[in-house]
Amino acid sequence: MVELKNVTFRYGAAENQNGAKNSLSGVDLSVKDGEFVLLTGPSGCGKTTILRLINGLIPHFYQGETEGTVLVEGKEIRDMELYDTARLVGTVFQNPRTQFYNVDTTGELAFGCENRGLPEEQIYQRIDDTVASLGIEKLMDRSIFHLSDGEKQKIACSGVNVSGPDLILLDEPSANLDFEATMALRNMILSWRSKGKTIIAAEHRIAYLWDLIDRAVILENGRIARQFTRNELSVLTPEDLAQMGLRTNIMEAPEKSLLPVYQENDEPMILHDFNFSYRGRKQPVLQIPHLRLAAHEITAVTGNNGLGKTTFLSCLCGLEKRFRGTLEYKGRNYSNRDRQKLCYLVMQDTGNQLFTESVLEEVLISLPKNTENAEGRAAELLRRLDLGEYPDRHPQSLSGGQKQRLAIACALASGREILLLDEPTSGLDYGHMKETADMLKKLRDMGTTVLVVTHDTELIRHCCSRMISESSFQ
Amino acid sequence: MEYSSKQSQEKRRGFIDPRTKLALILILALFVMGGLGGEQMQPLKMILSALPFALLLAEKQWTRFFRGVCILVCGYALLWIMPYLPAVLSYFALFCGGILTRFVVTIMMGEYVIATTSVSEFISAMEKLCMPQQVTIPLSVMFRLFPTIGAEWKSIRRAMRMRGIHLGGAKAGQVVEYQMVPMMTSSVRIGEELSASALTRGLGAPVKRTNICRIGFRAQDYLMLVGCLFVVCAWILEMCGVRLW
Repeated sequence: MVELKNVTFRYGAAENQNGAKNSLSGVDLSVKDGEFVLLTGPSGCGKTTILRLINGLIPHFYQGETEGTVLVEGKEIRDMELYDTARLVGTVFQNPRTQFYNVDTTGELAFGCENRGLPEEQIYQRIDDTVASLGIEKLMDRSIFHLSDGEKQKIACSGVNVSGPDLILLDEPSANLDFEATMALRNMILSWRSKGKTIIAAEHRIAYLWDLIDRAVILENGRIARQFTRNELSVLTPEDLAQMGLRTNIMEAPEKSLLPVYQENDEPMILHDFNFSYRGRKQPVLQIPHLRLAAHEITAVTGNNGLGKTTFLSCLCGLEKRFRGTLEYKGRNYSNRDRQKLCYLVMQDTGNQLFTESVLEEVLISLPKNTENAEGRAAELLRRLDLGEYPDRHPQSLSGGQKQRLAIACALASGREILLLDEPTSGLDYGHMKETADMLKKLRDMGTTVLVVTHDTELIRHCCSRMISESSFQ
Repeated sequence: MEYSSKQSQEKRRGFIDPRTKLALILILALFVMGGLGGEQMQPLKMILSALPFALLLAEKQWTRFFRGVCILVCGYALLWIMPYLPAVLSYFALFCGGILTRFVVTIMMGEYVIATTSVSEFISAMEKLCMPQQVTIPLSVMFRLFPTIGAEWKSIRRAMRMRGIHLGGAKAGQVVEYQMVPMMTSSVRIGEELSASALTRGLGAPVKRTNICRIGFRAQDYLMLVGCLFVVCAWILEMCGVRLW
């Protein structure tokens, strides 16, 4: 089905390649009809690049220098137009918010077939079949702007299903999904398996598909480091995987961690009247009359998408003007406005909260006015978060993990006592996840109170000591 | 009940054809917003101004309808109280009232088109008008791109508030610059990811594209198109100095 022969690839135009690193070097990979192959490895190992070579985005959309050949069903991808490759290969991307062309879900399902010029009746038939077999009647004829990330990813998979290519590529489709949505994705994959589709998935979170795959290919620095067949896979333990820099293979709901919300000796932080509903909607998103949290601990906030966890964070930060709840902390009641000076939110799209043109300046604007020796203090904070080497870099040019650390450096600079994080480990490999966990522990030891909204059971296991889950939200 | 995409497409068919919508937008932009035509065109303009509201009601877009009516009422109220205000304020009222009454109607029409036209309907209409793909595709991406970038914009504004960067604070001058930095990066990223996804699904293939939506002219379309033609004719006659009424 797919054949990569001695493929080497470098991003960027040919003229400015001096010293640029190879994204892939000398990769040989062949995937048989009906096989399910997992590509995994640390960030930047070249998983996504391989998928792009197969669906033709390289070289037709992303520029770079390719050597070697990539064949799909015996045809060289380089010589095929993207719209011809589209008949053979379907791709589900990582970001559910940016992979739709239409605004309505039905139009989105039809899109691939419409582009191919299939007869109308046939498209209707295909859509109805997919809708019936996947049970997504409730998602039809809706605006994609009103769907949760999990629902969007379901529509993306269904779209591939309607087009019906024989080869399906998955580029970290679970990165933004909660436990239940990930299980739904797993079921989707099972149904493709039963139809004999060939599937290649690039993933960090390997647990949900671990028992479905035929082969795991582990990449490191653009090379295939190891391969495991189905039989070899079954003997690997989470410890073996951690040693290779991989995430756990055990699928576990975050709620299973069984951590307390609050313990006897904790310093209390009490939420009063955390009730909130969006304008014009009767159904409340939040309904917490009274909840005692532990200060100076790392508390995980879990529960499925759409349960109002992100709303909870923005209410806690004082960002919702119509919100009336208060926080009682150290014998004082904090209103919306006061909480804005007490809490700091590290958002999921960290890039959206970095505004300046250099790393140092970013920290400087967060320091309180009239700080003595501001530059020295900023440089010290950067050093503490392993950013000491890059004071002059443009924040938007940093890697995801670095952006996150910079946002946290700003939080520390602003002197706020409560740090909130929204899904800090989505799309992170084992090494980076562990780094984040260690950093949160360091922050806790410095006296910061940390609340982290997450679906990542592994992160919870690594650093969280308290937990609020679904049951506390209603 | 079993889902049928064909029936659902039939049901969501708009009150008027996308091509009629485009013609109406053009006429409104020229005559109501652009202020083309003189004394004689006034009654026609009044009728044109009422049109987007009627259409919004026909498509049951209650919130948009009421928002539009409120803004328009504000505009006329400003113009009405203008003569009774002190000099500086009256200028201000004239300015705001003029802008509101002139622009709102056409913007309402634009909102109506965006809210009631699916991407598929739009592409289908453009194809029937024999527009080349090079024009159709970028325009159709707009439907998708603007709301997505809008959501991004909101998220950046929230982040600024969270970090305590306000308009009116000590750094007011820099606020706009601060907003642009993440905005540009994320707009570029969104555009790139949207195109990559559309291309892997065969957008731009040199075959006759199917469109599963239902479009086509019906009585109401002919009525409105004749109306548009009448407005243009009335204008030309006025230019030639013919008195119509």
